[in-house]
Amino acid sequence: MPAPIPSTPVAVLRARLAALHPRVARGVWRFGDARVDDCLPGGGLPLGVLHEIAAGGIEAETGAVAAGFLACLLAGLAPRGEIFWIAPMTDLHPPGLLPYGFDPARLVQVQTGDDTETLATLETVLRSGSAAAAIGETGRLGRIPARRLQLACLKYGTTGFVLRRWPYGRHAAGEDPTAAVTRWDIAPAPSATIDHDPGPARWRVGLVHARGGIEGSWIMESTASGDPHAPHPLRVVAELAAAPAAAPARRAG
Amino acid sequence: MPNWPLLRLRHPPDARDSPRATVETVRTVRRLAAVCPLAAAAGLAPEQTLAEARAICPGLIVLDAAPAADRAALASLAAWAERYTPLAAPDPPDGLILDITGCEHLFGGEVALAADLAARLERFALPHRLAIAGTPAAAWALARAVAPSGPVTRIRPGTEAAALAALPIALLRLDARMVAGLRRLGLRSIGELARQSRSGLAARFGPLPTLRLDHAFGRAEEPIAWPRLPQPWEARRAFAEPIGTPDDLARTLDQLTTDLCDRLAAGERGATSLVATFIRLDGAHPAIAVATALPSHDPQRLARLLREKLPAIDPGFGIDAAILAAETTAPLRPPQSSLGPLSLETTPPLAATIDTLANRLGPAALWRPAPCDSHIPERAATRLPPLAKAPAWELDPSAERPIRLFHRPEPIEATALVPDEPPIQFRWRGALHRVRAATGPERIAAEWWRRTPDDSQPETNRIRDYYRVEDSAGARFWLFRIGLDGTPRWFLHGLFG
Repeated sequence: MPAPIPSTPVAVLRARLAALHPRVARGVWRFGDARVDDCLPGGGLPLGVLHEIAAGGIEAETGAVAAGFLACLLAGLAPRGEIFWIAPMTDLHPPGLLPYGFDPARLVQVQTGDDTETLATLETVLRSGSAAAAIGETGRLGRIPARRLQLACLKYGTTGFVLRRWPYGRHAAGEDPTAAVTRWDIAPAPSATIDHDPGPARWRVGLVHARGGIEGSWIMESTASGDPHAPHPLRVVAELAAAPAAAPARRAG
Repeated sequence: MPNWPLLRLRHPPDARDSPRATVETVRTVRRLAAVCPLAAAAGLAPEQTLAEARAICPGLIVLDAAPAADRAALASLAAWAERYTPLAAPDPPDGLILDITGCEHLFGGEVALAADLAARLERFALPHRLAIAGTPAAAWALARAVAPSGPVTRIRPGTEAAALAALPIALLRLDARMVAGLRRLGLRSIGELARQSRSGLAARFGPLPTLRLDHAFGRAEEPIAWPRLPQPWEARRAFAEPIGTPDDLARTLDQLTTDLCDRLAAGERGATSLVATFIRLDGAHPAIAVATALPSHDPQRLARLLREKLPAIDPGFGIDAAILAAETTAPLRPPQSSLGPLSLETTPPLAATIDTLANRLGPAALWRPAPCDSHIPERAATRLPPLAKAPAWELDPSAERPIRLFHRPEPIEATALVPDEPPIQFRWRGALHRVRAATGPERIAAEWWRRTPDDSQPETNRIRDYYRVEDSAGARFWLFRIGLDGTPRWFLHGLFG
């Protein structure tokens, strides 16, 4: 394959690393805002790979804002096909997905017994290639299960999401390194109130890790309002100052 | 098998040399129920009282009779005998009935089948008598005749009358009183009984003697309660030597699935539930069952579902035979060839994935949410089978619902300035939340038509006023208040994303 001659040493290294990862090109899903898309490898959220979504504090127990943000993502990046939502808890309320533009009719909910079963089920679904996307709610996600999930995603190009959730407040001791391509940290953000009424949902969205991209943090707002033909389910309201890292830590992968 | 109640019990070797008997209690009298040959030689017989028996034979080992356990053991032996024929029934108290019609050629003829059965029973150390006859009643009588003509008594169909003529009438399964009555008339053998006029016998003894004769001679069909009727869609395999390794079991499953699927495909049917039964040497028959959402006769797919459950099978000392039966089937025509790139609404891979998960996690663990016509938030979504037609959801902008709904609303401490207004702050799971924006109330009343009236609680206590509130951090909650007339109580019912 004739590759363009890399000019800088960094570009040479990056090309060499890219050759080590035989990644199937599945395209990307753009946020439609350069402030976000420029941070992501390929200029958008990569499809057909594994993503990880987490939240801190009480949200790590309830998984509410992470589910809301995820519903927005799914409405945009997988507009057709079945979506498997695999979780030990059954508190996901399908009517609550509608305001984010996500049609619950496409949802297949799977109840599992524990995190191990969730991961195994998620892998089965990703490996079968019959779903448009699959979500697994799990607290524990080791390096090897994550790697297996990532490989399962690559097989058929199904996009997989792991929603980190500890429903009973069991926090992992430390952030274990995982094989997910991106990792997001979601927190609620005060909405633009209209006459003392809550406005559309807003989130403080942190891109904690992106393989081949850079980290970033933004305030995003849901624009879906239930319309399946809305231009884009997410709108970037503001870019937040990058976390302590003064120089953007660029990671190739 | 004479003496089944004693034979089924395993005894330490030193006890085998002593006389044994089981004892039952009949109206406060302890009487012998079954005696072993040694005890019989010592002069014991069933129906003797225990005291008498102890006097005759002081070294008697006495065991309590357990008729239910005897029957269960006999049933498991009958299940084991299904390696010869799908129709094998226990015949309490001490027999088995096998309908080997059409099966004998698989073993090289009736005699070879009987010899094989005899050899295997010998290996179990079960004394036995075998008889092959055209009718179950004739076989029953021949197997229990006092002087069998060889290891296997075999008569040709149609010759029952001649073969049974010399046997005593007790072998017709008539009760003792009737046998005694017939004997008083001078009728001792079956042949003598058969020569009597039917009307005379029926007038004196009722219909039973003639009916039993008809059963024995094949003039009337005898009903037999087979424990398991053969399935129309079934594949079976009996092994010359017992198998036990997981590889062998998996290969057997593959072969059975291929056999069964070939027949299903020829019959244009697909299986929706399959049961694979493994008949173990010790008579146990562990089984695995799988179900599919759509009928299928794809051997690879069904074998994969079955193989996933194979580790649950404990082969024990070895497996003698395996049976794969399609318990429910449905018509499955070959798919119509499509003219263009039209795809069906339900793509086959989805059904395969759903089957894999449903068999692994249980059919109730997978569902597709569907809207339900109810205002009660807990009842707003029902569960449909995952391959059901996708239901239509409609967004009601005036009644936004949370993304997480708690099964049990959690009580919170809320502070509201005015009773009718949303709270200004509340405490949930130990943390204080200051409300910065709120909408509501949305009043939802209980569905009074769903329950019996209860006067102890006023209906107003079942009315909930829901508020959607956002705290200073931006987290959104779904709160409600009950208690319109008394002190209001606040609950947190869900969270918005």
